[in-house]
Amino acid sequence: MSREVLSSVVMPIAGEDDVVLVRRRVRDLAQAQGFDAFATAAVTTAASELARNALVHGKGGRATVRELNEDGRAGLSIQFQDQGPGIADLERALAGGYSTARSLGLGLSGARRLVDEFDIDSAPGRGTMASITKWKRLY
Amino acid sequence: MKGQGSIPILRVGSTLLATVHVELYDTVAEAFQQDVLLAIERTGAVGLIVDISGLETVDSYVARVLADTGRMARLMGADTVLCGMRPEVAATLIRMGYAMEGVKTALNVDDGLARLGASTGPLGKGRPA
Amino acid sequence: MNRETRTPLKLDDAELRSRRAYFEINDEDLERLASLRAFGQTHLDDIIESFYRFILEHHESRVFFADDTSVQRVKRLQKEYFLGLFSGVLDVRYVENRLRVGATHERIGMPLRIYLGAYALYLRLLLVKLGEEYEPSLAGMHFRSVQKLVYFDMSLAVDTYIASYVETLGRHQAAIRELSTPCIRVYDRVLLLPLVGTIDTQRAQQIMETVLVRVADEQARVVIVDIAGVPVVDTKVADHLLKTTAALRLIGAESILTGISPHVARTIVQLGVDISAMYTKSRLADGIELALSIVGKRITQVAP
Repeated sequence: MSREVLSSVVMPIAGEDDVVLVRRRVRDLAQAQGFDAFATAAVTTAASELARNALVHGKGGRATVRELNEDGRAGLSIQFQDQGPGIADLERALAGGYSTARSLGLGLSGARRLVDEFDIDSAPGRGTMASITKWKRLY
Repeated sequence: MKGQGSIPILRVGSTLLATVHVELYDTVAEAFQQDVLLAIERTGAVGLIVDISGLETVDSYVARVLADTGRMARLMGADTVLCGMRPEVAATLIRMGYAMEGVKTALNVDDGLARLGASTGPLGKGRPA
Repeated sequence: MNRETRTPLKLDDAELRSRRAYFEINDEDLERLASLRAFGQTHLDDIIESFYRFILEHHESRVFFADDTSVQRVKRLQKEYFLGLFSGVLDVRYVENRLRVGATHERIGMPLRIYLGAYALYLRLLLVKLGEEYEPSLAGMHFRSVQKLVYFDMSLAVDTYIASYVETLGRHQAAIRELSTPCIRVYDRVLLLPLVGTIDTQRAQQIMETVLVRVADEQARVVIVDIAGVPVVDTKVADHLLKTTAALRLIGAESILTGISPHVARTIVQLGVDISAMYTKSRLADGIELALSIVGKRITQVAP
């Protein structure tokens, strides 16, 4: 019902090391929030895919990592914003069959299947904004 | 033996054993692939065991490097077995739609060695097409 | 988190604002309510007495009050609640207080209808008193403000009850899921997973995770998945089974699908599902034999 942001950190994605840092931060927060091993792996991997996308296809950008609480339920959201050329055919990229660059298709469609909420906004020349949210399983 | 990267590759008889215990990010993964192939060329190994039990995160990029390394090693005559993948890593890859078909797997290094040593064993033969 | 009573719900400022707007509680209403504080104080004892006379007259509400001591205690709390209506403040603290009141009633097992009935009673009692004290048009305006706040409180009570029910339901579902994925060790490094009942996406995921963890823990080489107890095997269920097989293969274990009835075999072929990546057997016994052969054992006939 009500979504509360407990913490918010902006991390640059300018190099390969930054992808590792984002991934590590997401993993640490997921564990700190009490996510189980499967949910932790899922959200960390999804973040890794999108961070890599932002670096490789988006020519870098930033990730905003947020700890959430919704009616007592812990969650994590990560928003990726890049300054790249954008994705012309989002639908095709999300279907997983995109082939203009390595791993883009699988990265997006794979990340989407790993999280509870997935938002993406992109157009040629505008860069890409992708946002994922994963909630802790209650039971 | 130690190559460019930070992943040690041991030789056990005619088999190479690589234990991936650090986070495999892009340059490390590529150096690892290069080191493995050079080691196969140098030693004439016929088997390659890649122990990934220490890997907590395997994204599609790392999964592809691992699968490709296995295929390349195979081309050079070294049968490859990926060992010790964690349950949460397996579930994540499957949910992403990445089943790593064609890659041989084993629960642990012992099973991996057994798979290499006995390619006529139960896992080697009688497997459905 | 409050130590006395845990509330399953939380309301932030944004939610509070939108709810206030929906119940049309404006600052004028709050001022009016604050101006009625003296009125509230005057009639406090009278209203609370009438309230409990009614509650104790009715069997269904009386049962929640064990003895006179508990009645005295709740009367005190009830007075606090009543005066809270005339505080003129509607902030997060007010909401937390109201949510706690709701959670307390839910916890003692008071049905929602009894609880809501009590709110209706409050409004009736207040309407009478307001009518006695003020001329009709003013009484009407006062009453509207009181009514808005009481309905606002009711919405919080209903939410509290629902959140608590959802929580209970989730716990029960988890217990059922736990029971519905039994993983039995039939031999060293051989596990049997007898599946019974309907398999939906959520359960399929649960099954996959449970079996992966068990296989890793026990270092099992083979898992026999028996689907004799699964009533419907459609494309989705077949897909779930294939995914479980694929995940098991990734960690280094084989899977054998058994319990395939003629009906299921027909369905799978007619649906065009490719399950050639799995070992399949009709009978569980054959599956066990195959599993044993994978771990290097054999069942043999001995002389009687």
